[in-house]
Amino acid sequence: MTMTHPGLPALWVNLIWFFMIFVSVWVLIARVPERAEHKHLLMNVIPVLGRLVRILNASPWPLQIIKLLMVGVFLLIIYAGLQGTQIPERNLATVMTWNLWWAGLVIAVFFTGSAWCAICPWDALATWLVRRRLWRRVIPNNSLNIKVPKWMRNVWPALLMFMALTWFELGVGVTNDPYATALLALLMLVMAIAALSIFENKAFCHYICPVGRTVGYYAQLAPVELRPVNTDICEKCTTLECYHGSETIEPCPTHLVMGTLKQNTFCTSCGNCVQSCPDKNVSWHLRSQSVEVRQDARPHWDEAWFMLGLLTLTSFHGITMLPFWYEGISQFGSWIGDSGKLLTSFSLGMTFIMFAPIAVYALLVLWAKKWMGDHARFTQVFSVLAFVSLPLAFSYHIAHNLNHLVRESTDLISLFSNPLGTGTQPLSMMEKHERHLNMIISQDMLFWLQAGLMLFGFWLAMQVIRYRGYALFAEKKLWVIPIIIFAVAIHGFDLWILSQPMTMRM
Amino acid sequence: MFAKLNRILFTLFVLVYTNNLLAHHVLGRPSYSLGEDSTTPPSMQVETQIGKYFVTYMVFPAFPKAGQNGRVNLYATHMNTGKAFDGVVTFRVKDDKWFGDTNKETLGKQKIDDGVYRQGFVFSHDGDYIISAFFVADGEPYNIDFPLQVGQSSSIGPVSLAVISILVLLVVVNIVQRKRMLRGKIQSAAREKS
Repeated sequence: MTMTHPGLPALWVNLIWFFMIFVSVWVLIARVPERAEHKHLLMNVIPVLGRLVRILNASPWPLQIIKLLMVGVFLLIIYAGLQGTQIPERNLATVMTWNLWWAGLVIAVFFTGSAWCAICPWDALATWLVRRRLWRRVIPNNSLNIKVPKWMRNVWPALLMFMALTWFELGVGVTNDPYATALLALLMLVMAIAALSIFENKAFCHYICPVGRTVGYYAQLAPVELRPVNTDICEKCTTLECYHGSETIEPCPTHLVMGTLKQNTFCTSCGNCVQSCPDKNVSWHLRSQSVEVRQDARPHWDEAWFMLGLLTLTSFHGITMLPFWYEGISQFGSWIGDSGKLLTSFSLGMTFIMFAPIAVYALLVLWAKKWMGDHARFTQVFSVLAFVSLPLAFSYHIAHNLNHLVRESTDLISLFSNPLGTGTQPLSMMEKHERHLNMIISQDMLFWLQAGLMLFGFWLAMQVIRYRGYALFAEKKLWVIPIIIFAVAIHGFDLWILSQPMTMRM
Repeated sequence: MFAKLNRILFTLFVLVYTNNLLAHHVLGRPSYSLGEDSTTPPSMQVETQIGKYFVTYMVFPAFPKAGQNGRVNLYATHMNTGKAFDGVVTFRVKDDKWFGDTNKETLGKQKIDDGVYRQGFVFSHDGDYIISAFFVADGEPYNIDFPLQVGQSSSIGPVSLAVISILVLLVVVNIVQRKRMLRGKIQSAAREKS
């Protein structure tokens, strides 16, 4: 028998529905907003937090020490996965990777943006092995420095990788397999090293890594950003050390120029620009969480697909954890004559759930476009309005992951004291019940947080419609109705998933 | 007092929620369970679907060692009728490897016993094996393969593969890089001469 987590209570669900309807109507009657000023606050001057930022800015060593720690944990995960017990809940590889890191990563983005990329062990190991330096720039840089082919300079590879990761995670069941988890980690490492050895800069982080791109897009909604302290200095700058690097510091791994940077998407928070700027003009800032998604981020066709893919695959995660999913796939499998792990049935189910909502979105965009006449191209409307999906995906993703993190928390001390799970037994039902009882926060608090996140996500989505939609549709309010319908339908569906009992991961 | 009551109520709530649930298994992936009322080692269970049958097999102990007695229990029920298959099941074993000799050895032919097919085994060497259960139902042959690890598995395979691929890549890149630099030097020297 497997345990499930109770879903969000009906009272919360009804309240959120009421809020969604109320805000949707309000969007149609409220005045059209003007472009907001991008306000931000330099973090260096904030008490406590500012001290931390100043330490990080002063030298590359604090970051290198954290990287060393992360690489240590990463290697331990691989060792535990290959050599430890295959009982998933007792092995560091599966618990650390899927219950803590993968579940906690999205929550971390909510506070720290793309900070994960700065301490990513895949990139750290790849850099150390290829460049053969801990952090200093090396010339020549031991890479073939081939320009990334034009057809690859987009996020389609990352979207395909994200789909593959989802397939391995939920279809093949890597989350319950320490050995396969270790193999997946090794595979990602080989890919990161290969990309760094062959292509210029960090093509893997920029175009291929599904984790980095997910973090990057969600970081559009983060309250922090790495930006110039004084933009006037950047305007007068002719040397662009942030882009080219300095004698000792590597250039920006994703080709960003700090003076014109408007979005977090491709910033890996590596801090090279902070270190290389001769005027010490780059630092961390606090900002509004909605400013980038509602106006600053630039729309692109491939990026729109990635954001929509994030939205639908996030919902798909939730669906596969509902008890009826396996019954349905099993019946479908017997209908089409599938056998074994039913991977064909799973793949078809995943493809349908991923692309059906995108097809509906495209139809609604088409409807809106038809309404507005020849005002804009289909691809333009599709790309601009796809930003609506980002807050919807992010809020549901965090609300879903909170369930894993809060209800499936593990005793970290015992996990690290026996990372291989030597001599351990599977969790007994009593232990599983204990886990339910010993939640990190109370159940009521969890429901509050989940409901708050769902409200926040919908509110941001409506802000995107107000700012981007009205700008696109020449302030004709009714033309945004199809997109409001899309947001309400998707968020309502996610809300329904969240209200259902969810099966425990391990 | 209230805290205790809260705890009891919450336990009951959790029990009610978990009572009527289907197992959340990825089909074909092993799950491990512990006998609640015994001190025996855990067992490994895999559920799968083949043709018109749901097949569940259980290996006891979950992590057998060389020289240790083990057992496979197999259950096969018809998907539409829910009726247990009652013919003969043949159990075979072979080494789980990509290359080399993978001849199958028959472990035994078993008849149904109380709804279950039981096959005992003892492996003389540690290693990775594939156990196959074969039966014929309604004129259709059914063959279910499942991996079984006896003793400690060797992780040298994937690690060596990863290390070798990384080394080969780094060496090749290094050679190309050196050639490029040499060519650059020769070209600039030639330019200086002319």
